[in-house]
Amino acid sequence: MFEKVLIANRGEIAIRILRACREMGIKTVAVHSTADADAMHVRLAEESICIGPPAAKDSYLNPSAILTAATIAHVDAIHPGYGFLSENADFAAMVEEHDFAFIGPSADHIRLMGDKIAAKQAVKDAGIPVVPGSDGALADADEALAAAEAIGYPVLIKATAGGGGRGMQVVRDAEGVAQAYALARAEAKAAFTSDEVYLEKFLEAPRHIEVQVLADSQGNVVHLGERDCSLQRRHQKLLEEAPSPALNEAQRQSIGDKVVQAIKKLGYRSVGTVEFLFEKGEFYFIEMNTRLQVEHPVTEMICGLDLVREMIRVAAGAPLGFKQSEIKFSGHSIECRINAENPDTFQPCPGLVGIYHAPGGLGVRVDSGLYSGYTVPPHYDSMIAKLIVHGANRNECLMRLRRALSEYVIDGLDTTIPLHQRLMNEPDFVNGDYDIHWLQKFVDGTNT
Amino acid sequence: MADKPERDIDEDLVRQLAKLLDETGLTEIEYGRDGWHVRVSGRTQQVATIDPAPAQSGGDTQATPDDSVDVDLTNAVTSPMVGVVFTSSDPETPPFIKVGDQVEEGQTLLLIEAMKVFNPITATKAGKVVQILITNGAPVEFGEPLLILE
Repeated sequence: MFEKVLIANRGEIAIRILRACREMGIKTVAVHSTADADAMHVRLAEESICIGPPAAKDSYLNPSAILTAATIAHVDAIHPGYGFLSENADFAAMVEEHDFAFIGPSADHIRLMGDKIAAKQAVKDAGIPVVPGSDGALADADEALAAAEAIGYPVLIKATAGGGGRGMQVVRDAEGVAQAYALARAEAKAAFTSDEVYLEKFLEAPRHIEVQVLADSQGNVVHLGERDCSLQRRHQKLLEEAPSPALNEAQRQSIGDKVVQAIKKLGYRSVGTVEFLFEKGEFYFIEMNTRLQVEHPVTEMICGLDLVREMIRVAAGAPLGFKQSEIKFSGHSIECRINAENPDTFQPCPGLVGIYHAPGGLGVRVDSGLYSGYTVPPHYDSMIAKLIVHGANRNECLMRLRRALSEYVIDGLDTTIPLHQRLMNEPDFVNGDYDIHWLQKFVDGTNT
Repeated sequence: MADKPERDIDEDLVRQLAKLLDETGLTEIEYGRDGWHVRVSGRTQQVATIDPAPAQSGGDTQATPDDSVDVDLTNAVTSPMVGVVFTSSDPETPPFIKVGDQVEEGQTLLLIEAMKVFNPITATKAGKVVQILITNGAPVEFGEPLLILE
């Protein structure tokens, strides 16, 4: 096992990793920018090294500074956390070239999953369902019609070079294909100079459901159930829950088994998350995240495992200590991401924290680096805390979450706590009846 | 260490204190005389401390020259990167600078090794080396004061 680990991150996730290390008897080295000299992860670590100025590109995103710090501090391994260098394949390779263990997957797997087209093909070949579409560009309107008929309506005709919604046409029936095809081509030509278009199934109101996996170097793979992360605004998740209110036991087992088989085929090691869109009982692969995720605690709460501990163990070469059949899911868990933002305008609000009081009690967990007198620096992500609660069932979980939100005091900053409190009283949310568009409509006040 | 700057730590004293620390099982010893003092603290104590001052990496015990020794850092040259500092280009050659030297703008003062690359630290202005705050081979953080140039 490792004796000393460098944590190449900041904020709550640096503390999260530090806690796992400490419980395993592993010493920690915090690295930080000058803006984070007073940060809690720096204060709690056995050693700390300032690696650069506030700008992330010169500190937390600077592989050379981090590897030099690791060399000076004589660590055995580096944990990248999430964000920053966590999905940088070159960094993972550099870490290993310097004879440190990278607490994560291999550089090759990070690289594969980082290439969205190659990743889709790789997981499709390994048996994971993907969004059905035309294989490549469409030659003419007849080919578009044939592909649409094969997939089933509605379909989306998209520019191959596309992005930002331009060159995209939704087609709901056979009559619309020819016109939409022509329009999409014209739009694509205008926006991207190439008029190549392709076609795929259009999902109107899917949910975002992701499956957590854990694999060791010996080829043992388990899944730890799913998380529902449909509550998003501008692709930023706000609240996550496990299990998903939309899945039944058969669907859970079926997708879990498919993911486990695929991950085995791919020879993947460490924790990872396979993200899907879920609509009308079907799963469609979006991407795979080759790292620990922000919302990992909801999985920990329902299966009683410490994912960071498991990550460290498998990175040190240890085999998983349990089989799929030994993993038991218990109760329900929800995580609220608390950002230093105005709850109505989402304007970031860094600054000095006044009185700070975190909620507690049975089934309540707060992952945060906040303390009274701490100044939230303006240079980084606005997420300042995660409030995670667990209950015997979803209803108990919601009651507990309302109680915990009402206890939470973070003076001096605008936070998203009031938004979460509003959410707790929305019938759609209480009933678990929401898709990936729901939150945006809710904050825009256009939900009907 | 090849050279001994003026404000270097009395290694023998620190070793003696560190030994005492182990023998007595104390977590910290502070020892002072004639306007200076040295605090030696064991690692177990380091764990509990939430002193915002950056901890230094190193051996089992650490010698921390107390800040009350009063170094005016207004004219300090600070490290532009995390790395290991070298006072000369190789062990055989004399140090680039010593206390009292007059240096020109652009003159190399020290080297900092990061990722097996030696980065020269040059004077941004002409001046006199008043104090050297590091020793050859010491690890330094980003922003750590290296020397005083006035």
